[in-house]
Amino acid sequence: MSAFSASLRRRSALSLLMALLCGLSFAAVWPLSPPLLAANFGSFAKGRVVVGIALAGEDGSVRASEDGEVAFSAEEGTLPSGLPSALGSFLIIEQRSDMAAVYSHLAPGTLSTLVRKPKAGDAIASPGKSGWIEGPGVVYQVYDRRASSWVNPYLLLPPLTDEAPPAIRSMALTRGAKSYAIGAAASVPQGTYGISVDIADPSDAPWSAGTLAPYIVRFSIDGVEVSQEVFDVARAKDGKLTLFAKNPMAADDLRTAEGRYELGERLFTRGRTVIEVRVEDASGNKRSASWTVLVE
Amino acid sequence: MEEIGKRRLAAALVVVALLAYFLVCAFPLEKELVLVPAWSTSISAASAAQAGGASAKQKGGSTAEASGEVIPFRLGDRYGYFSPDGSILFSAVTDYGVALAPDAYATYDRLSEGFSIKSPYGVELARVAATGYPFFAAGRRFVIGPDQMTISELSESGAAKWSYQLASIATAFDASPPLAVFGLLDGSIVGLDASGKAVLDFAPGGSRIAGVYGVAVSPDGLLVAAVTGADKQRLVVLEKRSAAYRVAYHRYLSSDYRRPVYIAFTGDGRRLAYESPSGIAVYDKTSKSETIVSVPATSRLGQTMRGGQLMVFLSGSGDVKRLICTALPDRRVLDVPVKASLSFVEARNDSLFLGADDSLVRMDFEER
Repeated sequence: MSAFSASLRRRSALSLLMALLCGLSFAAVWPLSPPLLAANFGSFAKGRVVVGIALAGEDGSVRASEDGEVAFSAEEGTLPSGLPSALGSFLIIEQRSDMAAVYSHLAPGTLSTLVRKPKAGDAIASPGKSGWIEGPGVVYQVYDRRASSWVNPYLLLPPLTDEAPPAIRSMALTRGAKSYAIGAAASVPQGTYGISVDIADPSDAPWSAGTLAPYIVRFSIDGVEVSQEVFDVARAKDGKLTLFAKNPMAADDLRTAEGRYELGERLFTRGRTVIEVRVEDASGNKRSASWTVLVE
Repeated sequence: MEEIGKRRLAAALVVVALLAYFLVCAFPLEKELVLVPAWSTSISAASAAQAGGASAKQKGGSTAEASGEVIPFRLGDRYGYFSPDGSILFSAVTDYGVALAPDAYATYDRLSEGFSIKSPYGVELARVAATGYPFFAAGRRFVIGPDQMTISELSESGAAKWSYQLASIATAFDASPPLAVFGLLDGSIVGLDASGKAVLDFAPGGSRIAGVYGVAVSPDGLLVAAVTGADKQRLVVLEKRSAAYRVAYHRYLSSDYRRPVYIAFTGDGRRLAYESPSGIAVYDKTSKSETIVSVPATSRLGQTMRGGQLMVFLSGSGDVKRLICTALPDRRVLDVPVKASLSFVEARNDSLFLGADDSLVRMDFEER
């Protein structure tokens, strides 16, 4: 795992750097305007982690986010050999730097296949509700071929003008089947606990696939940062999805059954412990919360 | 006088030689293959009769159930089963999607979070609680998740036997009993065995844009073929040797498809049919050669009859298609128009079952 992590880190860092440089030097556009986020990278919908963004809307056109070349298009229904298209009607556009952009759940029959090389901002389809999606819009994903990873589209698109910070609703310590909801202060017996926190970022979209995910989650104990999770990349390896370029985590371990973010396990010894969580969304809005735990 | 005698003798010898040639070298003319109509039935009329109380067939009253042979069909939104003797077990209209196999079917909604698997006779075989769409192939039952990347295989009871997260979006698929093969957006071909273990993970490369536009697996799982990449597009055939799959054949194609491509092995696994700009290309694994049937390809390539001698397919699109049978490698023995916007063809032994809009027709090949 360590060799894999190091390799993924190196490749992802390089790819992200290139992507960011490209993002600075070329103007990318949001595929749907205004960009109303119904789901984002790392959010949780129907038992799965989303590795793209869902933009809600049924008016206007879906636009190419960058200059590119159509690599694949498929209409809603079944692909040959009976494989259903859960993405409905979808387009894959090859962008610079070995990035492939996927635009899915488009309105059937509206895919622009005549223009082989659309420019950034060109209309490529109409937003739709084809395939498995809760409401009309488009799901936009970016696949980095060099790093074999899904990249958070936030890294490539213009910043969102969102001023609402994410909310940190509660924190819980779990040992075995027992769970302790922690308020401003609480006391628990000495032992090893799983720490989880309930984070939510509000969505302005008319429909949503679930609560939006933050971009960065930092977790400190007694003033020392224990972990920093950046929702930057996701990669499937050996049939399992992992998240984060630094310290990859299995997507299945990201959340509890109740939907709280797992921050890891810690041994709590007798005394007073201060747990602090700081979260940041893609627009840079921050929120922090801390809890004092008295260990008996 | 002597001169005349010689001439007569020469003429007699020529006549004898000709007679000998016809008697000794003659061989019988090849018998002609003819299609003989067996029956034709209207799907809507059968459905109406069923609604009127003749639904005993779905409860187990048909001769087809006794023999166990039923054939699934799908024409647009309408699907169902019929028996080779022409009785329609049932037909229904799906709201969104249906997974069909000879032994079971499952209908599902657009936002499917569960579905029932039923036998062709309407008996519920399993209730599945899974988010995604079911699809059945080669006697195996799968579910693909809303992300088009999560694959699960279902057991007989409907429980998930295994689940596998593909590295990127599945753009192509085919299955045989030992191997399910997926072609991915990233250009790799992934083969999963019956336990969900990846026994094949191969990226052909060699093209400016990576991708997999169509995959096929032979019934024994030993051969895997794919149309991959763009600029330039390639045909790659992999063969399992000892434990690993290795490239057995490959070539760059003149095509530049940016959409799913039809490709399939024949039932005996000897030949591979795939879509090409000049028609249906047929690759023979024995001779490693290719021939072209110069008609446009449609779905369900690779169907053969009469022990693999004849390849059958519907060609074209729109309201008029062509039913074509070719004697392999490339001699066309039948080419008839089929006037229907929705159609399918199913080949079984010496019989052809043709669906055309509201009609089902059986035709049998006979030698005359």
